Parts: sequence; structure tokens; C-alpha cells
Amino acid sequence: MDLKEKLVSSFMAFEDGLDLDHPVHEERSRAIKNFETKGFPSKKEEAWKYTSLKSLQKIDFSIFPKQESALEYKDVKKYFLHEIDTYKIVFVDGVYSSYLSETTHDGVDVCLMSSAFSKPMFQQVIEVYFNKAASKEESLTTLNTAFSKEGAYIYIPKNKMPKKPIQILHLATGNEAALMLQPRNLIVAEDNAEVQIIERHQSLTGNEVFTNSVTEIFAGKDAIVDYYKVQNDAPTASLVDNTYISQKNSSVVRVHTFSLGGKLIRNNLNFYQNGERIDSTLKGVTILGDKQHVDHHTLVHHAQPNCESHQDYKGIFGDSSTGVFNGKIIVDKIAQKTDAFQQNNNILLSDKSTINSKPQLEIFADDVKCSHGCTIGQLDEEALFYLRSRGIPKKEAKALMMYAFANNVLESVRIPELKSRINKIIAEKLGVRMGFDL
Amino acid sequence: MAYTEEELKKELETKEYEYGFYTDIESDTLPKGLNEEIVIAISKKKEEPEWMTEWRLEAFRAWKEMEEPEWANVTYKKPDFQDISYYSAPNKKPKYNSLDEVDPELLDTFKKLGISVDEQKKLAGVAVDIVMDSVSVATTFKKTLAEKGIIFCSISEAIQEHPELVKKYLGTVVPQKDNFYAALNSAVFSDGSFCYIPKGVRCPMELSTYFRINQAGTGQFERTLVIADEGSYVSYLEGCTAPMRDENQLHAAVVELIALDDAEIKYSTVQNWYPGNDEGKGGVFNFVTKRGLCEKNAKISWTQVETGSAVTWKYPSCILKGDHSIGEFYSIAVTNNFQQADTGTKMIHLGKNTKSTIISKGISAGQSQNSYRGLVQVNSRAENARNFSQCDSLLMGNRCGAHTFPYIEAKNKTAQIEHEATTSKIGEDQIFYCNQRGIDTEKAIALIVNGFSKEVLNKLPMEFAVEAQKLLEISLEGSVG
Amino acid sequence: MLEIKNLHASVEDKEILKGIDLKVNAGEVHAIMGPNGSGKSTLAEVIAGQEEFEVGEGNIFLEGEDLEELSPEERAHKGVFLSFQYPVEIPGVSVTNFMKTAINESRKAQGLEDMPANEMLKKIREKSELLEIDRKFLSRSLNEGFSGGEKKRNEIFQMAMLEPKLAILDETDSGLDIDALRIVANGVNKLRSKDNAIIVITHYQRLLDYIVPDFVHVLYNGKIVKSGTKELALELEEKGYDWLKEEAAV
Repeated sequence: MDLKEKLVSSFMAFEDGLDLDHPVHEERSRAIKNFETKGFPSKKEEAWKYTSLKSLQKIDFSIFPKQESALEYKDVKKYFLHEIDTYKIVFVDGVYSSYLSETTHDGVDVCLMSSAFSKPMFQQVIEVYFNKAASKEESLTTLNTAFSKEGAYIYIPKNKMPKKPIQILHLATGNEAALMLQPRNLIVAEDNAEVQIIERHQSLTGNEVFTNSVTEIFAGKDAIVDYYKVQNDAPTASLVDNTYISQKNSSVVRVHTFSLGGKLIRNNLNFYQNGERIDSTLKGVTILGDKQHVDHHTLVHHAQPNCESHQDYKGIFGDSSTGVFNGKIIVDKIAQKTDAFQQNNNILLSDKSTINSKPQLEIFADDVKCSHGCTIGQLDEEALFYLRSRGIPKKEAKALMMYAFANNVLESVRIPELKSRINKIIAEKLGVRMGFDL
Repeated sequence: MAYTEEELKKELETKEYEYGFYTDIESDTLPKGLNEEIVIAISKKKEEPEWMTEWRLEAFRAWKEMEEPEWANVTYKKPDFQDISYYSAPNKKPKYNSLDEVDPELLDTFKKLGISVDEQKKLAGVAVDIVMDSVSVATTFKKTLAEKGIIFCSISEAIQEHPELVKKYLGTVVPQKDNFYAALNSAVFSDGSFCYIPKGVRCPMELSTYFRINQAGTGQFERTLVIADEGSYVSYLEGCTAPMRDENQLHAAVVELIALDDAEIKYSTVQNWYPGNDEGKGGVFNFVTKRGLCEKNAKISWTQVETGSAVTWKYPSCILKGDHSIGEFYSIAVTNNFQQADTGTKMIHLGKNTKSTIISKGISAGQSQNSYRGLVQVNSRAENARNFSQCDSLLMGNRCGAHTFPYIEAKNKTAQIEHEATTSKIGEDQIFYCNQRGIDTEKAIALIVNGFSKEVLNKLPMEFAVEAQKLLEISLEGSVG
Repeated sequence: MLEIKNLHASVEDKEILKGIDLKVNAGEVHAIMGPNGSGKSTLAEVIAGQEEFEVGEGNIFLEGEDLEELSPEERAHKGVFLSFQYPVEIPGVSVTNFMKTAINESRKAQGLEDMPANEMLKKIREKSELLEIDRKFLSRSLNEGFSGGEKKRNEIFQMAMLEPKLAILDETDSGLDIDALRIVANGVNKLRSKDNAIIVITHYQRLLDYIVPDFVHVLYNGKIVKSGTKELALELEEKGYDWLKEEAAV
């Protein structure tokens, strides 16, 4: 039985025990039908031209983990940003771990989707927001919607800001030979609210993991949302991350994606600007080796006038790794005075590495400033020579320059401890000794 | 009161097609429809050798199995391939020795088009091959060229006179089965131009072909084959017009260029097929496959000014096979009213130290859609490949669209690829500045559009550049004057 | 030459010019001074026909002809020239090509043939020497990548080429170093004649040391609050504008 059949036939079993009168039941039923019709995307589809999910579909993934696993904090501490105090929503093999988590209902709600689905006090928020930004057509998103049950639920009311940043951590223990996870996150920042979120997926063994995640983010008027995705997983972990962001007037949403590990990563990052004077920022650093594959698919839809978007993706690709960047900017007819900027710079380190870049502009308004730039190249030989002439050996000089190349994306990270953590990972990957601060 | 941009836009939309007239020449037209008999009939009418008939049939059989492609940004009513006549030749099949023998009405048509097949052009040093409704009716200056060993004739003639060259190169760059329209063209092409420049020869004049669709309900399927032998050089001009017609006319040409070691081919196109009226009715569907192959140190340069056609779909491409070979693509695409253009290029880097440059300027007005779609591919053995691409769009008004879809694929670490794209509009302040210097708004827009397109216009041979500028004005400005 | 009567102009319902009266005769140079936001540039652009401004009451006459119904290019054809405070960039259009187009459009409006190429070349050479402009500069894209000084010099070069009846120089001195200022002023002075008139709009008295005006007007809050001879400019330099503001408030 292939994965699609397995998923479709498991749907009834999945809903067994869930409240079938809940409005979400209907969403799920519609979604599974859509997935059943469309199936997994193939390379024949333009959006999946450079990324194949074929080999993943051959693996016999467990869809429901059989047993709950307990983990000691000390064993997984290093996967947390433990240097600072944070709220934590932790899942082990897709199941919420209250032992490792720290949630709150103190003025803001930082808790679980399963609670939000079942408790009446959250019902209104679920009705207004759940599945309102996520695509009802895209097959993997609807697959997730069909199986949506657990994940992080974060609700920040008007004018509020949680006391500390929030970490969402998904751990896979390897108790199953191969595990498929489908977390579903909902993040709502009402008018003038502010929140910082760090999300990470981590497999603890060499067993196969396939995560198909959907996150919906709603930013109200003047709200500020900072979302950091740390993707530094084990070489047997694959991730399809679908993030949908809906913004209202004058809101600011920044998403940083650090793709530094894992087997196959596909990021579908979609911004919908449903108001004026909105600012959207999309930044990414990708550093790959081995046979890793990362595909960044971004969409910024400018639907209203006077908005801005800034995209900056940097990639360094070694060994037999493959990078894909597909950035699309759409400017609607009425979205005059749009300022959309997109930049994608890549460095190939080996003869076997590949980069495919497809920056796209679709523009229907005439009074706009839109530009995109894409480069593929090597390190600047002159700068390299300059460093070497100052006594820095070639290998270190190269690493230093790559570090500097990737590093400027980090400038806009607003949690200093996270910034230095990412810095450290990048430095390690490039074989640069710390001891300097760029 | 002064002329507002709004008023100008209106005028643009009501602008009549300047070349919209119809020449009344008796035509010898095959019945509509397409099957093996028709393919054989075309081949027979052209008195082709058997290998050619076989080649066509092979293509036809492949075409039957193929599906018509769907494109993301182009919408149109698909042509009914059984409702097209695949052959239409002017009746008095001519073999002229001098221009005096040419049907005066035909000559008159050329005059209206501004194509002088006469002495003036001769002085300008241009040899012209005219394909009107598919058959090559006049090729001049053959003698001058023959002295240098240059062959410049219709492809039908080449099939008769130089079968060894045609056999060797036809379909080598664009195979019969390459795509739906290339297969169709291979099966039914009626005529086109053939050009061979021998080793080390620099062609002393610009070679030029004019294509024109005249007969109602016909499709034009010309086939162009240009071979530049080692160390040779040729500059080739191609112009296209079609009279006004209500029904959509189909144009599916194939152009193959072969630049052998150290050779250079410059291929310039000014395309002004009938774009349809201001309601989007009629116009030419222009589905063209153009591709060039560069051997060692060779260079192919495509320059195009696309102002016509209801739907344009073309991607002149370069296969940079030889080490140190160079590919260039310079394009201006203007769309107005309901026109749709989806054009760009493919640069396939296979050899070492290969270089490519892409400069694309898109200008959209009315309710038109203008897309750049391009591919830069660096294969794993293409050490030190370089590419620079720049795609700029200019939007006029708020009902049109400009789109950029570059595909960049690099498999070699020594590749250096740069791509830039911008979108802008004509500023009110620029218009006022020109107005203040006594230049009216219409002229100001022409001036600014010309400036915007400069880098590409500069690549055209002199006399073509003048014509291209005029075309830009016509397509965007309405009746100047 | 130019007569402005009770001119009112506004933009987006905000009145900027509140009743200007000004008479400039052929052969005269008038300076218009005033603090920032007093309406100097607006006055210049309204005379040139910028449609952004709504002209309410009042009229502008050039040689007795009311300009109200004329488009900016028609005013230019009648001899109005504005040297822009911020000259606009037009990529891909060379200075030479731009001038050729402008001159021939004006000639067309007057029923003349295009200027013959050799005559045009001669004129370009002559005028570029006058303003000490390198000929290479003329093949560059109009104002694109020009320094502040190059832009202003280019404006005066265009004035020399077009030979206007009425030239309005809007802050031509801003952004100029002393050498460039001298060259520009020298050019303007050579273009002065008994048949044309020049209006110099400036913030500082400095330019007026080089282009000596016959009359000086002070514009404040949309009105000419004081007129005088060149001594007024010196007085303004010394005392600033505050005393005039007080005077105007009385």
C-alpha cells in the first residue's frame, strides 16, 4: 500500500473518537477529499519541478505512534534555546509533553491545538481563524488539514505581548521505524499585539521521519510577529513546512528560516497582505552538504496599496546538495505604491551541488517599485586574496567569507541569544573558529 | 487643454493597424485540413525528393501523438488544425530573373509595406528573400553572393539544389519531435529561407527575409535554416507583417541556426503581425521555435522587436555546445490592447568558458499581458560559465500586466550567474519635464520608451533600428502627427 | 513680456499663491527671493503650466497673450523656459537627442522644417563651449548619474539651445560649488539680451553677485511682500527674512 492510500484509508480511524459535530470535522472531510483527488504533488507540477517526494512515498511510515515516550529534559536540553527563559510547547512523536512544556493562560494563550479544538472557550477563535489562511487546494496542506488535531495554539489579544518568547519543539524519538507527523499550528496576534516564536523540528535517532506541517499566522492591525524556523534536523528527517500568513493594516511579520540540516526540506511560505502599509520580511540562510535538498518556495501577494515586502535568501551548497529558490511576488491592480524587493544569492562549493532559482514577478499595477536579483557565483577572489595577504590561511579565509556572506541575513534577528546560537551553528558548519564577531 | 495620459491611452486603443490591407493576387490554395495526403500533396507540389517527403511524414506522425501545450500566462482560443489551409502559393508561380518580371501588384504591396525590393535597397546592400503566403517569390542579389560562395535562397530551392547541406543540418537543432508546433511545422512547412556561408567568408551585406500572411484562413509555416561554416560571419534580418483579418491566423515557424567553430550569426527580427483589433478580435497566433547551436568559439546573437501578433510565444535559444562560445539575446516586446506576449530565451551552457547575455525590455499598455520567461542552464561540465540577465518592464496604465519568470539552473560551482529585474512606470515628472521643453506628451512617451529600449535598439542593424523605432511609436502612440 | 495679475494657485485645496502681481519687461532680470515654503517654486511651475496646481483667480500674460488655456509644451513653444530645481532623469535618452527633439518640436509648432543636422551640430558645439561642457557629456543619458552641478549646467545649456523669451531659473545655484556657479552665471549673462527676460529664483544673495538683477522681489506666504532693487537682496542677506515677516504680519 502506498502512502497516499494508507493516509486516505486511515482517515476514518483518525476521526474515531473526535467530535464529529465540531465544525472542524467538515473542514477535515473536505480536505481529505481534496487530497484523495490530488494525491502527492509530482515533478510534473510546475511548483514541484525541482523537488521530488517520490522516495518518501515508498517508505512505510507509521501515521499514529503506538506508544508514548518519556524524555528527560537533560537529554534534549541542547535543542532548546535554553539560554533564555521562554514558554515552551513540546511534542514528542506528535504527542504533547506536559513534562517538557511551559504553557500559559495569563493574559495570552500559549497552549495546544487539541485544547483549542475541544474547549468551548476557544471555539470562537477557531471559527474565525482556523483554516482561513491555509490553502484549500494545495494537496499537502489539505492533507494536514484532514489530520489536524495537535500542534501549537498561540493567541495574543489586543495590545498584549507575552512576557517571553515562545518555543515550539517537535521531537521524534525513533520508537517507530518510520514516523509521519502532521503538526498544525495556529498563531493569532490581534491588533497591536506582539509575539516572538521559535520553531524547531528534531529527530533524535537515525530513523526516518517525515513531517508535513501547517502553520497559520494572523497579524491584526499594527501587530508585530517574529517567527524563527530552525531547521537543523538529522540526515534522515524530511520536512514539508507550509506557512500561511495573513496580515492587516500596518502590521509587521518577519519570518526567518535557517535551513542547516535534514534530508529534504520544502518550505512553502505564503504572505497575504490584506491591508495597507503592511511590512513583510522573509529571510533565509541555507547551508547544505551531503545529499541534502532544500526548496524554498515563497509567495508574497500584494493585494492592497502602500505595502512593502523584503526577501533575502542566501544559500551555500556543498557536496551533492541541491538548493531551490522559487520566489513569487504578485502585485494586484489596486496595490499601487507597492515596494517589493527580492534577493537570492547562492554559492556552489562542489561540482556535484546544484542550485535552481526561479524568482518571479507578476505585476498588474503600474505605480510600483519591484525588483528581484539573483546571483550564483563564487567567493570574491580579490577579497580572498586580501584576507590571505593579511596572513589568514586559504581555508579559514574562505570559511570566513562564507560566514560573512550568510551572516548578514542574521542582522534582523531580534533575539540576541538565538542570533548567537545560529551564528555558532553556521560557524561550525563552515569550520570557522569563533572568537571573532562579525 | 493639454493631452492627458488617459486620452493618449484611448487613442492608442483606437489605433488602426497601419499595414492592414489585402493584396488581390490569385492564390493556389490547398483545401483545408491536415492528414497524410495533405502532407504528401505539399511535398509533391514542391517537387521534393522522396527523403524529404518521408521526413515530413515522420514529423506528421509524431505530431498526431502530441498534445497541444498549455501555458500558464497565455489564454487564447486554440486553433482548429483541421480548419486551416496548409498551402497557399501565389498562382503565377514566379521564377524571376529581374524585378521587372514581378507582378506589379505584388511590388505595390511591398511598397506599401515599406519594403523596397528595388535599387534603393540594393544600394543599402540588402539582399531580400520574400516569403508571401508561404512561397518564396523573389530573391535578389544572388549573383553578388554567389561570387563569395554564399548560398541564399528559398528552402525549397535548397532542397532541390543543395540536398546534401539540407540533409545534413535540417532538424539537427530543432528535431521534428521537439514540440507540438515544431512537429507541425516540420510536416507542413511550405517555404522559408536557406542560407549557407562558406568557411572564412564574411557576408558583405545584411541578408533579409520578409514574411507576410495574405490569404484568409491560412497558416504560415516557414522554415529557416542558416549555416555559418567555420570562421564565417552573417547578419540576418527577418521582418514579419500580416494584413488585417477577422479570424485568427496561425504562424508556426521554425528557425535553426548553426554556427560552426569561430563563426558568428547575428539574427534580428522585427515582428509586426496583425495584433487583432481593440476588442481583441482577430490577430495572428505566433508560435515560433527558434534555436541556434554554437560550436567552439562561435557566437549567436538574437535580437528581436516584437510589437505584433495577438499571441506571441517564442524563446529564441542558444545551445552553447563549444568551449568559449557566446550566446546573446536582446529583446523588446511591446503589447497593447488585448495582446499577449510570452517570450524570452534559453541559454544552455554545455561547453567550458561559455558566456551568455540576456537583455529583455517589456512594455505593456492597454489590457495586454507581457511575460518574460527564460532559462539559464549551466551543466556540470560547463566550467567557468558566465551569464548576465536583465529584465526590465515598463507598465502604462493599470489594466495590463508584466510578468517575469526566469529559471536559473546551475550544476557547476564555477558558474557565475547574475539576474536582475525591475518594473517601473513613466513618471509624471518625466512627462512634465519634456512638456516644458516643448515636447508634447505623446512624443515624450515615445522618447522615454525609446530610451528605455535603447540597449536593445542599439543592437539592431542601422536601417532596422529606424524601422523598429517607428514600430514602437506606431504600436504605442497611435497616429503621430 | 510677462505680466501676472492677482494670481492664486492651490494644490489639493491648499492655497499656495495668494494673489501675485508681477510685471517683467523685455531686457530685465528679476530676482525672486523668500524663505522656504513661501511659494517660489510653485510660482515657477504655474508659469510653466504644471497641471498639478489649480489656478483659481488671476491671469498670466506672455507678450499680452493669456497663458491659461495653454499646455506646458505650448507655453514652451511660445518661449517659456524653466530651469528645474530638481532636473528629471530620463534613462536611455541622450542630451543631444533630447535637445534635437525639443528644438524640432518647437520649430514644428512654428511651422518650420526640422533644423538641418549640420546647423544643429554647430549650435550644440557653440553652446556647449559657452558652458564649458565636455562633448562626451552630451551623449550621456539625460541627467542620469549627473552630479548636482552637471544637472544645473545642463539646464542652462538647454536654455542656451532653446533661446527662450522668458527664462525662469529655479534655485539654479543650489548644489553648485563656486566654480560651477561662475560658469553657470557667466552662461546666463551671455544669454541676456534686450529681447528676453530672466526670472531668478533663489534663496541666497550669492548668485545675485554674478547675475545682477534689475529688480528684487520678496515672496512670503504666497504674496510678494516687498519689491526693490538689488540692494534689497543685500539687506535680506544681512537681516534675514524675519523683519519682513513681521512687517507682513502688521
